[in-house]
Amino acid sequence: MSDSVLTVRRKGLGGEATLAYALLAPAVLLMIIFMVYPIFYVFVISLFKTDKLSRIKDFAGFSIYADLLSSKDIWIVIGRSLLWTVTAVLAKTIFGIAIALLLNVKYKGRKIARLLFIIPWASSIPISVMLWRWVLHSEFGLLNHTLKITGLMSNPPVWLGQGGTAFMACLWVDIWIGIPFMALVFLAAMQAVPQTLYEAAKIDGATRYQRFRYVTLPGISAILLIATLLSSLWTFNDFNTIYILTQGGPAGATNILITYVYQNSFEWLKWQKASALSVFTFLILSTVSIIYSRIYFKKEEM
Amino acid sequence: MVELSNKTRTAIVQLFAVFVTLILLVIMLFPFFVMLVSMFKSPNEIYHIPPYWFPKDPTFKNFFKVWDTIPLATYFKSSLIIALGTVVLNTLISVPAGYAVARLHFPGKKFILYAFLVTQMFSPVVVVISLFKIVIKIHFIDTYLSVIIADAVFTTPFVIWMLNGYFSGIPKGIEDAARIDGCTRVGALWRVILPIAAPGLVTTIIYTFIYGWNDFIFSLTFLQTGSKYPLTIGLYQFVGRFAVNWGQLLAAAFLAILPVLILFFLVEKQLVSGLAGGAVKE
Repeated sequence: MSDSVLTVRRKGLGGEATLAYALLAPAVLLMIIFMVYPIFYVFVISLFKTDKLSRIKDFAGFSIYADLLSSKDIWIVIGRSLLWTVTAVLAKTIFGIAIALLLNVKYKGRKIARLLFIIPWASSIPISVMLWRWVLHSEFGLLNHTLKITGLMSNPPVWLGQGGTAFMACLWVDIWIGIPFMALVFLAAMQAVPQTLYEAAKIDGATRYQRFRYVTLPGISAILLIATLLSSLWTFNDFNTIYILTQGGPAGATNILITYVYQNSFEWLKWQKASALSVFTFLILSTVSIIYSRIYFKKEEM
Repeated sequence: MVELSNKTRTAIVQLFAVFVTLILLVIMLFPFFVMLVSMFKSPNEIYHIPPYWFPKDPTFKNFFKVWDTIPLATYFKSSLIIALGTVVLNTLISVPAGYAVARLHFPGKKFILYAFLVTQMFSPVVVVISLFKIVIKIHFIDTYLSVIIADAVFTTPFVIWMLNGYFSGIPKGIEDAARIDGCTRVGALWRVILPIAAPGLVTTIIYTFIYGWNDFIFSLTFLQTGSKYPLTIGLYQFVGRFAVNWGQLLAAAFLAILPVLILFFLVEKQLVSGLAGGAVKE
């Protein structure tokens, strides 16, 4: 890197750098206007009282942040977002590793199995969430029917009707969407572990479990970290699943931070509060995002 | 303990793997199975208690009738406009930027790459309030363009990273040769680099197309006229109605999912390695 900087310096910054900036300008400009500036703008809105049309009225300083931090609702929503993210990512990781291990066994038809596992991720996500509305239907849905006839549940609930079960249903649909990515990444990582390591372990008399524990796991640990971070961000950000299944209801029982922001703004027209919540969300997301980028960047440079 | 031969052990492991795989596949594909059987059911069959597994008298009627029940053709048109618009705008801004970060030296390059990586994770929800206000201010509210710009901007960071990878992989010598033959830098990009990077470019184009096709939040927020709704919003409105005919809705869902499903399979490997970084490069 330092070498190339030196050569540029020697040549002078003229042509090449100017061209680079010109080529980057449209992308950077659009990103500043529609991504960076809006974050700054949302922060500004949060400092003012707003009317229902989201027009800025009186300056209020940081009062909304003080209000938010002292309100119980917000802590419930933040707590639920964390529960949501941690549970879902954990489940996605475990399912992902399990499926990757299964697909790593050589048998006829495993390529087809691999393709079939991708379908939930590959199909239009808002629309496959809508499919779940029908699957989860308490009377006509085939899920409750299956649970009844297999005896798994004699009296299955109206899933989206009560807070607790609605949250579980949303959580499951989010997990379901996230599993394929994890499985694919882990499978690719496992296949990149040199075969010779396994052979060496076999010669040393390692059992199947030992080979997994001491060869596979260390081999995929780096990718495990990146994939779980990425998955945490996606899970935390999953607006579609909750909004399409329950809109955060019943009675706010399935709201996580991201749907709460949307509800406060576009449904309840509490723009100042929603803006402050956006700033919160942004701070949480960028922390995780920076950690992810650091690690990814290091990998790329290796 | 009986020593099992290696062959038998492998066979047992295989059998076990196939068995568990089948169970997991049933769980993972359940909603699609439900869609595939229910879309051939008549209203009488689909609203039967207890539900039937398979249609007793399979019918294609849902596939014909749904076009009259809801403006499905209009939704398709809107989805196509948004998806293609996102592809065009994104490609126009990402290709030059991707070329710059991959092939040119300039101060601040590392910072720019890093900034693209971090912004890749931004949530549309965080900025949707401001974007809504901006879109109103510049009179783009209720236009396809508002959704297209938002989608193109939100796909830009990831696409630039992908392109950075593809462009960096092309030997410098090829470009130099073209320039010796009298091509300008931009000419060399157009005539030499782009054709070589074409497979990569196809990946990013498909990725942005899918992103636009699946857009939900920006369409939900910016579009107000029903005739401009894409499939995601159109079908969502339909789901919310009490008198909804699910047989028709599932037929429509099938038609809406199919194009992106096929496209996705073409690029899944590249997407996975692009998202997960160096460790799983193809």
